[in-house]
Amino acid sequence: MKSKNVFDWMLNPFARIAGWQSFGLGLVFLVLMGLIGAYGSVAFDGVLDMHFVKDLSLQNSFIYLAVDVASLVLVMWITGLALSRGFRFVDILGTMTLAKAPFLILAIGSLFTTAPDLSQVVRTPAMVFQSVSFIVLLIVSIPVIIWSVALMYHALKVSCGVTGNKLTIAFIIAIFISEAVSKLVLFILI
Amino acid sequence: MLPTYCPSCHAQLKVKCLKCENCQTEVNGSYDLPVLALLSSDDQQFILHFVKNSGSLKEMASEMKLSYPTVRNLLNDIINKIDTYEK
Repeated sequence: MKSKNVFDWMLNPFARIAGWQSFGLGLVFLVLMGLIGAYGSVAFDGVLDMHFVKDLSLQNSFIYLAVDVASLVLVMWITGLALSRGFRFVDILGTMTLAKAPFLILAIGSLFTTAPDLSQVVRTPAMVFQSVSFIVLLIVSIPVIIWSVALMYHALKVSCGVTGNKLTIAFIIAIFISEAVSKLVLFILI
Repeated sequence: MLPTYCPSCHAQLKVKCLKCENCQTEVNGSYDLPVLALLSSDDQQFILHFVKNSGSLKEMASEMKLSYPTVRNLLNDIINKIDTYEK
């Protein structure tokens, strides 16, 4: 029973926390991700992306994160408006910000990871397998991304009060659009 | 909990008889159950909380230790049920 509660909390904390409260908590995670990401040379360059970048400045680390969250919130808010009328923007803002929190695991993981040189990987892709820590981070990134997507799904569901196929289809389209928007904005900015 | 559906065919029940405990008078007829009585006990409890909190979802959310949109969604579910019963 207790483990079920923990599982519920991990997948859908928004039943108990939303709005400004979750936005504040989400910001704490984002700041930690920005700081650790810059130190570990890892950029969160997309709503569901993470890449090792050479000489990542602290400023750029935070720009990446700000664009990610802004794109996600904007697209999900527009999606919410298309699905439902009676919801608050602050709930979308707060829950979507907190939904990015699992990526902190990858930011921490990057501190213990030796990324292979990209220019060498392009020439010999097998180079990737020479870094065990990189492979481990790559494997860990799969459940982390799934977890984050599940959180985003529940964030939209709870914030807008929509269920069923309508929600699922709209969410899938929205997540692809938000990823594209974040990539486009980052391409223009950085 | 007041039974609202027939245990045999699941149709909505009606009130056939009401009795005064004081003088033992019985009133017979076929009366519709009020819409609120058709809701589950949890939903009825929610409505009681809602009224006691002067309709403040924020206060209800903090009392129930749930987030504001979750409480609002619970209320919307009840509204949908009431709409269905009224049809």
